[in-house]
Amino acid sequence: MTRDRTPDSHDFPTRPYDLVKEFVIALVVVLVLSGGLAAIFSSPDEKAITMSAWAKADPDNLVTTAAGELAGTTTSATYGAPYNTNAEGQKLGPLPLQKWGGVRIPIDSADLVLGPLSNISGDTAVSSAVATWKAATPEQRTKWATAYVDAIGAAAADGEPATGAGGVPAKVAAGDYGPVPALSAGLLALANTGGLEGALTSSGNFYGGDTTKSLLLLADGAYLEDQAVAQNLGGDQWGMMNEVGNAPGQPWMWLYTFWYQVKPFSTSDNADAEVWGLMMLLTLLLMFLPFIPGLRSIPRWIPIHRLVWRDYYRRVQRT
Amino acid sequence: MSALSIVAAGPGKYVDWGVIQISVANLTIIGVMILLFILALVVPFPSHDEQGQRKGHRR
Amino acid sequence: MTTRESEPSTKETADPKNWTNRLRGWLEGLVPRGQALPDRQPVYVASWIYVFGVLTLTSLVVVIASGCVLSLGGTTWWHVSSLGHYVNSIHLWSVELFFGFMVVHLWGKFWMAAWRGKRALTWITGVVLFGVSIGTSFTGFLSQSNFSAQWIAGEGKDGINSTGVGAFFNVLNPGQMLTWHVVLLPLVVGVLTLMHIILVRRHGVVPPLDADLEG
Repeated sequence: MTRDRTPDSHDFPTRPYDLVKEFVIALVVVLVLSGGLAAIFSSPDEKAITMSAWAKADPDNLVTTAAGELAGTTTSATYGAPYNTNAEGQKLGPLPLQKWGGVRIPIDSADLVLGPLSNISGDTAVSSAVATWKAATPEQRTKWATAYVDAIGAAAADGEPATGAGGVPAKVAAGDYGPVPALSAGLLALANTGGLEGALTSSGNFYGGDTTKSLLLLADGAYLEDQAVAQNLGGDQWGMMNEVGNAPGQPWMWLYTFWYQVKPFSTSDNADAEVWGLMMLLTLLLMFLPFIPGLRSIPRWIPIHRLVWRDYYRRVQRT
Repeated sequence: MSALSIVAAGPGKYVDWGVIQISVANLTIIGVMILLFILALVVPFPSHDEQGQRKGHRR
Repeated sequence: MTTRESEPSTKETADPKNWTNRLRGWLEGLVPRGQALPDRQPVYVASWIYVFGVLTLTSLVVVIASGCVLSLGGTTWWHVSSLGHYVNSIHLWSVELFFGFMVVHLWGKFWMAAWRGKRALTWITGVVLFGVSIGTSFTGFLSQSNFSAQWIAGEGKDGINSTGVGAFFNVLNPGQMLTWHVVLLPLVVGVLTLMHIILVRRHGVVPPLDADLEG
């Protein structure tokens, strides 16, 4: 390794330079630029999706999602850490990083439905459905809910034929579903009143403020994702870089989101952990670049610096 | 909020090129950054270094 | 009339076991005398590429200032006030400028191999700043209380949960994300920025490549 023979910068000839004036000029430039860009282009503010909007736009999907929470088949129900132990979670190679985090935000998916409904009074259908559910064994509950989810089925998509009632709860065949249809319909009704996210977020605590349960329920459904994909915000649409409408997004996320678009990550069950691991490695390489032979010599091999210091090189040649 | 608000609701414009898909807004930002970098390298910097120059000295 | 005991100690008589003296000595030694805010620069500092550091810094100033104004009104102010919305727009665009200038600054510093001459820590603090800034902007997007915040939270949770960190850093909890965005992460950015600038003033601007054969 060659010794670093960079001379002391204080040994060079100097000339007057006003750092404070430079700072003030730069500050004015940035103020004018940001004030001007803000005035011309503004900033996007698309209203948050409410449970009520979901209920009105896609009631079948909300009912199906509610049934799925009761059956334990939704994304959040089968997530694993930090919400539950119903999955092993993602691994980085042999390392079960997700599991190591532990179940520190325990969420019972059935509770996303039963929690808000248990507090309702004056609706005998819902109250008796809740009572029936609570009196049943876990096995009986799973049997009812799974039967109902299967009966609802799904619409034809991606070359797959439709199953069950094609995703339409109203067309479900007769069967033994226990209180599940009433519970699912009850959640839809509560969503329509606008009270669902409040019931989930405050959960008996006046101040609430933690929207974990509402967001998990929303993300378990299709409506949130459909709205996002329509605006190119999906994971396989370079969505991490994008914003709604024509707003600038986060161009600096280009490399992070790039890996999700290509194999092996695009088809991997552990994509999140693997992409994170790769990006951490690349960040470490960038951070410790000064110590990496070869990489740190690239500026010598491609001498863009000759443009930066051309005045100095010309002067040195003259003397 | 400005009436000229171009980024208001409305479908965004995107450019597709193979696996790459990028919004016009982001592409513009990246393009401007590359342009600024090139300009910073080639545009002469006013340095009145023939006046007021002093030799360096060891500390 | 002063007595001997009340006179401040000089460097020569300073008690090295005195913590105050040791801290003062350390602080004074961080940057060579006269180099904290010098009015002269080496002659080779003569390129527009050099302004991108100060442009990044001043962008950060505007980001923080606009953020402070947003804090005056609270998290939902910008949804209901046109002034609030304008301040939010300034906050967004100053962030875009911040990242844009920072990356051009990074490109410049790379091609100048600016880590030479014991400046590795300057480079390292810069890269860490880049990463922490991305994290800070992430918590900012999560604090928007609108559709983007909902979607970013839903997607972001998968990335963070996969590393196990999601058990402690809950992106679905806007209260937690806001306090990280407004208190904790700006403190880290501030401290790192201070370190980065002190290091630049300490070592001076890196000399040109191949100037090591001269002077």
